Amino acid sequence: MKLMKLEIVTPLGVIFDDEVKQVTIPGSEGEFGVLAGHASLVSLLDTGVIVIETKESKEISVAVNGGYVKVGEDKTLCVVDGAVALNAEDSNLANALAEAKELLAKAGESSMALASAMAKVDSMGKSI
Amino acid sequence: MANLKDIKRKISSVKGTQKTTRAMKLVSSAKLKRAEEVAKRSKIYASKLTELLGEIAQKMNQSEGEIDNIFFRENKNPSKVDIVFVSADKGLCGGFNYQTIKRTNKLLKEFGDAGVEVRLSGVGKKGIAFYKYNKQEMLNEIEGLSASPNYEDASKFISLLVEDYIAGKTDKIILVYNGYVNMITQEIVEQQLLPVDMSNIKLNAVSLSELEIEPDDDDTLMDALVRKYIEYSMYYGLLTSLAGEHSARMQAMDAATKNAGEMVQKLTVKYNKARQEAITTELIEIISGMESLK
Repeated sequence: MKLMKLEIVTPLGVIFDDEVKQVTIPGSEGEFGVLAGHASLVSLLDTGVIVIETKESKEISVAVNGGYVKVGEDKTLCVVDGAVALNAEDSNLANALAEAKELLAKAGESSMALASAMAKVDSMGKSI
Repeated sequence: MANLKDIKRKISSVKGTQKTTRAMKLVSSAKLKRAEEVAKRSKIYASKLTELLGEIAQKMNQSEGEIDNIFFRENKNPSKVDIVFVSADKGLCGGFNYQTIKRTNKLLKEFGDAGVEVRLSGVGKKGIAFYKYNKQEMLNEIEGLSASPNYEDASKFISLLVEDYIAGKTDKIILVYNGYVNMITQEIVEQQLLPVDMSNIKLNAVSLSELEIEPDDDDTLMDALVRKYIEYSMYYGLLTSLAGEHSARMQAMDAATKNAGEMVQKLTVKYNKARQEAITTELIEIISGMESLK
C-alpha cells in the first residue's frame, strides 16, 4: 500500500510527522478519509477525532478542536488549534481521554459535532 | 579617617546591588529558556499557517486574477491607521522597551506628517506609561498580557481592531514589537497585519489549479484563515517579545553585575590607599612628636 506523509502541527509544536497509510479527518462539511494520491484539497476542520492508520497498520487517534487541513497528493498537513493523542502507547490513557474530553468541550460550538466526537472518545476508552 | 568608613559602607552597598542583579540575571535566564522554547514551537505553527494561507491566496489569485477579499485589498491612500505596540510590563531590561517606543514614535510621526489619522493601541505597562505621560491618546491598552501571553486574550485584543477594519473604521493595522533573535540580539519588527501583506507570503510557482476548497465558497475558509493568521501573528508577537525581554534583561543584568564587580574593585583599591594614608599620617605624627621631645 502506498504511503503518504502526514504532519499535524499545533501551537505547541509538531505532534505527528510520519508516513501513514490512511487518515480520517473531521472536515467541516463532514468526515472524510484520505489515502495517498488524494486530490488536492483545503478544508476547515471541525471539533473531532483524527484517526490515523500508521505504516505498521496501527491506529492512532488524536482529538482536535478545530483548525485547517491541506491535502496534497503525497502530503497531508493539519494545522490545528489544540490536540491530544488518545491512544499513543503510554499507560496514562485515562488522563489522555479526560484531557481530550475537556479539550473538545472547550472547543465545542456545534453540539452535533461535539456529541459525535465525545461518543468516539468514549467508545475508544471502552474498546481498549 | 571618616573617609575610610564611607568607602567601606559604599563597598558593601555595591556588593548588595551586585547580589540583586546576579539573582535577576539567573531568574531571567531560566525564564528565557522557557519563553524561547515556546516561541520556537509556535514558530513552526506560524510558518505552517502562513504556508497554508499563501497557497489558498495563490489559488484564488489564479482563478480570479486578482484577490478580491477585504483582507487583501490594499488601500493606496490610507486615511486611518492603527498601530499596536508590544512592550514589557517591567523595566530593568536595558534599551528593550525604549527601542519599541522609538520605532512607534517614528511611525506616529511619519503618519502624522502625512496627515493620516493614527490610533494607538498597546500591550505592556512600560509603553502605556510612556504614552500616558506624554498625553498620547490610546485606543486600547492591556497590561499583564506581555508577561504571560495567552492566546485567548491576545486574540480578543486584536479582534477589536479586525472588526474595526471590516467596518471600515481603519485602513491598516501595524504591529510593532521587539522580537527575540538569539541570546544577545533582539530585533525590532514592524509587521503589517491588515491588509495582509502578500510580499511576506511566498508564492511558489506550483500550479494548484485543482485545489479544492471546502466549504466551497472561498470566503468562509479565507475569512477564518485570515483571522487565525492575524490572531496568531499577534500571539506570536507577544511570545517572541517576551523571549526578547528576558534576553535583554539577562544582558542588562549581566552587564550590571560586571560593572558592580569593577566598582567593588576600584573602591577596594581606594579603601586600601586611604588606609595606608591614615597609617602614614599617624606614623609621621608620632615621629614628629618624638623629634619635638628631643
